Amino acid sequence: MYLKLTRGSRRTAYSTAQRFHYRQPIAFAAQEQIDYHDTILSPAANHPASTQHTMRRSLPHILAALSVAMLLNAARGDEFDFEAELRPLLIARCGECHGPQVQKGGLRLDARHTAFKGGDSGEVIVPGSSDESELLRRVSSDDADERMPPDGMPLAKDEIELLTRWIDSGADWPESDYDREAKRDRRLDHWAFQPFERDEGGGQKDEGKIDWFVEAKLKEHDLAFSLEADRLTLIRRLSFDMLGLPPTIEESERFQADDDPQAWANLVEEALNSPRYGERWAQHWLDVIRYADTHGFEVNTPRDNAWPYRDYVIRAFNEDKPYDQFIIEQLAGDALHADEATGFLVAAAVLLPGQIGKDDESKRLARQDELDEIIQGTSATLLGLTIGCARCHDHKFDPITQRDYYAMQAFFAGVDYGDRTIDDPGREARLLEAASLASRIREIERDLQLRPPVDAQRNDEYISPVTAKFIRFTTLATIDDNRHEPCIDELEVFATSDPARNVALASSGATPTSSGNYSETGKHQLKHVNDGLYGNDHSWISNEHGGGWVQIELATPAEIDHIVWGRDRNEKFKDRLPVRYRIEVSLDTESWQLVAAHSDRIPIGTPPEEVEALLRKRPKDSSIDVAGFVAELEGLKTKKNELEATRTVYGGKFREPDTTFVLRRGDPEQRLDEIGPAVPSLFKVTSSDTNASEQQRRLALAKWIASPDNPLTARVMVNRIWMYHFGQGLVATPSDFGLNGARPSHPELLDWLAGEFIRSGWSVKHIHRLILTSRTYRQSHYIDSHATKTDRDNRWLWRFTSRRLEGEAIRDSMLAVSGELNLKMGGPGFDLFKSRGGLSGFPPVEQFGPEQLRRMIYAHKIRMEPVPVFGAFDCPDAGQATPIRSQSTTAIQALNLFNSQFVAERADQFANRVRSVAVGDLERQVRVAFALAVGREPTDSEHQASLHVVNNHGLATLCRVLFNSNEFLFIP
Amino acid sequence: MIEPISNNLTHAGRHLLSRRHFFGETGSALSAVALTHLLAEQRVLAVENPARVQIDPSNPHAPRKPHVVPQAKNVLVIFCAGACSQLETWDYKPELIKQDDKPLPGGPSVTFQGPAGNLARPQYNFRPRGECGKMVSDMIPHLGALVDDFAFVHTLTSKSNTHGPAENFLSTGFVQDGFPSIGAWVTYALGTENQDLPAFVAIPDPRGVPQASVNNWGPGFLPAVFQGTPFSSSQPIQHLRPPISISPERDIAARDLLRLINDEHLKLNPSDSDLAARIASYELAAKMQLSVPEISDLSTEPEHILKMYGADDTEDELKAGYARNCILARRLVEKGVRFVQVFNGAYASGGKLNWDGHQALREQYDMHGRIMDQPSAALIRDLKQRGLLEDTLVVWCTEFGRMPMFQKGAKGRDHNPNGFTAVLTGAGVKRGVSYGMTDELGFKAVENVSSVHDLNATILHLLGLDHERLTFRNNGIDRRLTDVHGHVIREILTT
Repeated sequence: MYLKLTRGSRRTAYSTAQRFHYRQPIAFAAQEQIDYHDTILSPAANHPASTQHTMRRSLPHILAALSVAMLLNAARGDEFDFEAELRPLLIARCGECHGPQVQKGGLRLDARHTAFKGGDSGEVIVPGSSDESELLRRVSSDDADERMPPDGMPLAKDEIELLTRWIDSGADWPESDYDREAKRDRRLDHWAFQPFERDEGGGQKDEGKIDWFVEAKLKEHDLAFSLEADRLTLIRRLSFDMLGLPPTIEESERFQADDDPQAWANLVEEALNSPRYGERWAQHWLDVIRYADTHGFEVNTPRDNAWPYRDYVIRAFNEDKPYDQFIIEQLAGDALHADEATGFLVAAAVLLPGQIGKDDESKRLARQDELDEIIQGTSATLLGLTIGCARCHDHKFDPITQRDYYAMQAFFAGVDYGDRTIDDPGREARLLEAASLASRIREIERDLQLRPPVDAQRNDEYISPVTAKFIRFTTLATIDDNRHEPCIDELEVFATSDPARNVALASSGATPTSSGNYSETGKHQLKHVNDGLYGNDHSWISNEHGGGWVQIELATPAEIDHIVWGRDRNEKFKDRLPVRYRIEVSLDTESWQLVAAHSDRIPIGTPPEEVEALLRKRPKDSSIDVAGFVAELEGLKTKKNELEATRTVYGGKFREPDTTFVLRRGDPEQRLDEIGPAVPSLFKVTSSDTNASEQQRRLALAKWIASPDNPLTARVMVNRIWMYHFGQGLVATPSDFGLNGARPSHPELLDWLAGEFIRSGWSVKHIHRLILTSRTYRQSHYIDSHATKTDRDNRWLWRFTSRRLEGEAIRDSMLAVSGELNLKMGGPGFDLFKSRGGLSGFPPVEQFGPEQLRRMIYAHKIRMEPVPVFGAFDCPDAGQATPIRSQSTTAIQALNLFNSQFVAERADQFANRVRSVAVGDLERQVRVAFALAVGREPTDSEHQASLHVVNNHGLATLCRVLFNSNEFLFIP
Repeated sequence: MIEPISNNLTHAGRHLLSRRHFFGETGSALSAVALTHLLAEQRVLAVENPARVQIDPSNPHAPRKPHVVPQAKNVLVIFCAGACSQLETWDYKPELIKQDDKPLPGGPSVTFQGPAGNLARPQYNFRPRGECGKMVSDMIPHLGALVDDFAFVHTLTSKSNTHGPAENFLSTGFVQDGFPSIGAWVTYALGTENQDLPAFVAIPDPRGVPQASVNNWGPGFLPAVFQGTPFSSSQPIQHLRPPISISPERDIAARDLLRLINDEHLKLNPSDSDLAARIASYELAAKMQLSVPEISDLSTEPEHILKMYGADDTEDELKAGYARNCILARRLVEKGVRFVQVFNGAYASGGKLNWDGHQALREQYDMHGRIMDQPSAALIRDLKQRGLLEDTLVVWCTEFGRMPMFQKGAKGRDHNPNGFTAVLTGAGVKRGVSYGMTDELGFKAVENVSSVHDLNATILHLLGLDHERLTFRNNGIDRRLTDVHGHVIREILTT
């Protein structure tokens, strides 16, 4: 409709194509203005409705223009009928370039406040003086380059005269509704800033409602729902989507055979109640807030106490913590016994003190950067607003000013990044219990006779003389919680006959054996254990973390009374030290005699002064049960330490807020005026108390964000939930609900869901339930060629869009299928790299113990460092927020999945598992492998080809293939 | 650029746009609104940028047209990690010799690492080089011999004086972690000519990765397919080969079976381009398994080439290693790899492993200069003699410069982001010119001050890309390599 109107307006107006090349100095700015206002900023671009409204209004304006000449006759003397005479003139002759749509040179002449304000080059109307008024000069100029309007007919003589008289008489311009409307910031009409219906439905859940909204849109576009997906597809979809893992064969078979009409609803409930759900959905949240276990930037040191926040998020999802409470805790958990939750505030990368310049300017800039991350994280995550864009200037698209930005900053002006003690309610009781252990510990220590702790350099074991041919040193544990394999640089044995002669030397004819060696080449071979050379470069290392034995066979049996061992006689290395060990001797390797052990030694790590005290108290003779006491002592001490340990989280550290200033161009060196905490002015909330305490500030902000009246919070969250279910949000820009964001595809549905969210008490699981039980969700993913033509991107939801699993889910699912997945929840997590942070690169871990086989959300997340093998599957780097993961397909992904040792080992384990349930029956093994990996029987050709491969290349080859198959890797 | 917009439109939209008389009217305000609305309705403007790059998911590296006719097709960056001093290389300051050991009047008392000492003369002699007579230090005689081919920008400035953020800034246009690297932007925009090799290769120094590590070649929020693939002459691509326990026959059998199972699955899901793309990715991976070892195999290089680069240096293993990386870089450029980064220098190490000469600059630079000079110069000469400089842009750069003073109590220079040098040569670059000036002591840029954004805008420009139009929407913002800054440094361009 308005296209016609456009042409019409052209006929009445001027050849405007040329006007774009208008040669005035202001022309350049003017053109930019067009881009700014018309393509993006103007409500027209985002509001078809209001565009039409504007257009409709244009028509009378044009008609008015035609009658200007007539109206002019009515002007007389110094009295003007502004609305009848002047405004129509300004609109008709100036409005196209200086009107509501376009403001060339920053000038708008049809509204009072802008007309008097003038344009980029200053005022154009000087009341009382037409001579000084640029407006008059330009419309009456003889110079064609200067004269306005630039094309078409110049203003008629009487029109110029009317303007002259009006200005000279004082330019009286009574403010009308038109002016008031023009003054209003129409950006405030943006849909996402409007309240939504909240009390509809009276808290009743309405099961078919989603489908009703979706179907209405489908019909509008001449589309229809696809058929319901088959049951196998459904259970796999639900399981990957909700839990990030495939269903087990039993679950799958049970559901496929379940004829209860409630079967699906029951399955949904099971998924919602599974602890795996929280582990899956917490990852989505961590993506958005850029969670990592390192600090980022160049040094990227470990952030050792980040994980309690990660565990908090997992718990929150599993417990269905009301979302409003979840928000408040994350912003002000210190006020609510939820210290872990404040990890949210400081989730971003941060420069550590040593990385910031020593000069004050560098420090001030670093502080601004810290605060900026908090503002960005809070506003984009919770409100879907890009307030961060207003740090240096007013927001380019949204009605957010630079002042709004700094008012927002004032909420956080007392927040520092750092380790925060978790003040949990049970702490006092734990401390009391710890105190009660102290007296028993003292008692044992008094009675006990103890030797010094193990020493990395050298340990002397003086034993009762015993005849031996074999001397075996067995490591039971190494320092640092068995982080490494034990190392012994030399094992020496001395005979009573010649206390100076080491009979264990290879040169004396002794031979070493071991339970296994770290390497058969290089510095750490078995032969080094008795080669007579000291130090790390000539040492033996076992092949087992925290374990393994080495033994010396003497040339001939000898009576011995002294054994010496060490980790590094040269004192460079203290790692790999055996801290729990035993030394046994034998004549025949059949019967062994224990001659020395760690058990009568003071535990390593005991403070030196305590060691000294213990040694001083050591009684001369004693018949007490040393080993028993030591075991008890160690147990008591461990328990006491655990009870006394303060748990900490990397979270907000709070102090008296700094004064906040508006900063010119965001430059910390250019302070403008002081500003107190306030939410962005567009929300028309009275600003909070400037004198409020630091904590009250954050609480006030949190409560405003988490309020049912906030137009954004609920919409933003239900949209995120929707997006993770369907692969795309109702609003395609989940962290930008501003004017430059996408408009909702289903606005009514979005608002209804947001209302439901609030009515349900902000229950995330309620929203899941509504979505999962909808017909919309249960559709087939089949691509219909007709519907594709209309809606290739499936924006109107005529099918379920299948999509590739995320890197984490791929890894977890492989482990689930191979039967190795360790479901241990929570805690500091495991390493995928040999270093936890720092500068020297990140060599990947290549040996995978049970810890490494936990779900990937528990992997220590190194900021910016792609996870081995799986990082290439678009895992976020935790540098910037990732509200949507990209889904790329690359050759590197293929190489990683097809060739990595990790996948090869999982395939071996998968094969072992298959073999154990289908012993010896290759045909059945093929079927079981398919069932475990993709939940179905192989087709005939698959079965035949697979059997051939299994026969010739082994079952693991089939398993490796299944792990690489599209079907395994896609949410169907 | 109209082409991509119209690709995004429905048939009706395209029809409207193609009608001439409609275009004739777009100058009018109302019809501009109409067009805007039309585009917005078809989700061109509201969701994506008008100049958005169109990626075919089944072939994301297909060559794509730049915004305008380019001067350069490929880029080779020599990145000196750790902040290589401008005062010991390219920026000759005779006044600093005179002022040696005097305090800098009005200079800062504290710089990045702590108290500032007195001014210190350049630690190497300078002499005129080439026909243009540009003064270059004796630390880099081989590179100095090439000055007639070089364009110097002496006035780069950085937003950060800390290595990590400044390397981020140089490579991504932002000091924060998490933004796409320039190589990722370029391959996102242009794809690549050679489908058998990665489009973007980062070659880390034999001593280790640079300070900002993977950020220098990361994809940020661009699809992961556009990230740089790190490998070097000594470090192959990870997982290029299956574990040794898997025999070639077994590998082929696995590949064939995978194809069969995927084809069966595709039959049930016809026209699912994501599935087709994954199948294609395995084929490309198979090609890379052949092409990458082939390109990394330097045994076919003749003796004189090894000698020219210094790859035969048995005395200095680090130099020989870097030289081999330089040869690899040439081979990649030769094969049409779009963007190659060669790193000289690794991570923070008190200046031992990179150019961070805080304490004992001369001593350390003797070593670093020896490693970097001959191989880098040979790389440029080799590209030139093979005619590859015709459409390859070569950029030598570092994250910031160093102070004209020594640090108090030390014989080294602190960080200085206020005026440092980059060198460009090759396609579209003027020869033997210098742009901009630092003050007479080399403390800060004073004439034609430019920024890292300008350098990046210039690199994109030479590739035919308008740095203001190459955008990607992330988290509500149309992001650019140059943030909201950047001016092409036209003074050093041939056209």
